[in-house]
Amino acid sequence: MNNQTKTQFIAVATITSELSAVVVIAKEISLAAANAKAIAFRAGDKAKGFQPITDFISDLAKETIERVTAINELAVVLYQVTVDEFKIALSCGKFEEVIKNSDGALYADSMQKPLNNAKILMHDYRRLFKRDVMLLLTQLESVMHHAQTARVIATYSRIEASQAGEYLQSLQAVAESVDKAAQSIHGNVQRCIMALSLLNK
Amino acid sequence: MFGRDESKPENIIDSNQYMVRTANRCVLFDPGGAEIFAPMMAAVLNYVSVEQITDLFASHQDPDVISSLGLWDQALTNAKLYAPAIWEGFIRHFGCESIEYVAIPDNGATIKLDSGELQFIPAHYLHSSGNFHVYDPEAKILMSGDVGAALEPIGVPMFVDNFAAHTEKMRYFHQRWMPSNPAKKAWIDRVRKLEIDILAPQHGRLFKGDDVKRFLDWFEALPVGIAV
Repeated sequence: MNNQTKTQFIAVATITSELSAVVVIAKEISLAAANAKAIAFRAGDKAKGFQPITDFISDLAKETIERVTAINELAVVLYQVTVDEFKIALSCGKFEEVIKNSDGALYADSMQKPLNNAKILMHDYRRLFKRDVMLLLTQLESVMHHAQTARVIATYSRIEASQAGEYLQSLQAVAESVDKAAQSIHGNVQRCIMALSLLNK
Repeated sequence: MFGRDESKPENIIDSNQYMVRTANRCVLFDPGGAEIFAPMMAAVLNYVSVEQITDLFASHQDPDVISSLGLWDQALTNAKLYAPAIWEGFIRHFGCESIEYVAIPDNGATIKLDSGELQFIPAHYLHSSGNFHVYDPEAKILMSGDVGAALEPIGVPMFVDNFAAHTEKMRYFHQRWMPSNPAKKAWIDRVRKLEIDILAPQHGRLFKGDDVKRFLDWFEALPVGIAV
């Protein structure tokens, strides 16, 4: 297995692992949003500004989970392409070995066609791989954007929480947890992007 | 027959590969592991072109028998693989997308090769639980897979030349790899009904003439499945 293939396998494994963590965090955000909604309901007018924010956080978490699920599906496709490319690269190597070993054999030339076909296939897989990496990068950037949005919402939440009287602490805790979760997601996605960027060099 | 590959990696078992060729068909029997694909294919190209290889046969699922399948699958177009039905889901792990997997039922099968035929003779539990040997009634050759195999160094003669001495090279292999005495007896009863000039195992030397009968007698008397 050459270094490029190893990097590809590692990148795909990294993405899958990091995205699993993102889903867990997004579910935590969703829970925090539900919690915030209950607090805001109890707080009534004191947390009037906070109520629409909870819906927004909840939608954002839901959308993040959906996007990450779609990205994971794409990562599975990318893994399959990596496996296929690895297999066909192995075949190419073996077919070249056959040609070398069969020098002087009556039907040595007949190996050229399977080798050419394998090379075409390998080229196709490489093209597919590059295309899927680009697609993944775009989708990961959109999740990154979600994480940034969540951090902005967390800031607004803090401001709104400051006007919630005795509910200040509870709502600030919600804002903190959203902010922390968004930071974590940002880190996870950043690592995915870095792993993929290595493949784009 | 192909084998005695001096270039093969030291720590993998040497294996015999067989080829039967008719006017329009070419069958490779137990074509071998992925490690030996290149020298095997290169040797085959002395006799037929890639396009002329129409069929593969796998006696059972072992890697030394058929782990090269994924490579044949890339190289051949419109080929068939005859292999035990019970191993289909397992053998496909080696890669079998363009090659058609023809599942051999437990009771065996016969395939036509132009005007001739080949018979897939059940040899279950010898050593694999789904196992077939191939009998060519015209050449009177039985390709006997692991039965008759001996673990010997590269470069030994093609045929057994001293049966008594050769038994020591086969004894442990048969006692340890073959699990079932009743299965062994069923196979011997079945094979004794065939007219066999050459018994051709997948490892080591081939048996011809009276050595075929000597082998069957020796094998019949040998207790197998000794590891329990």
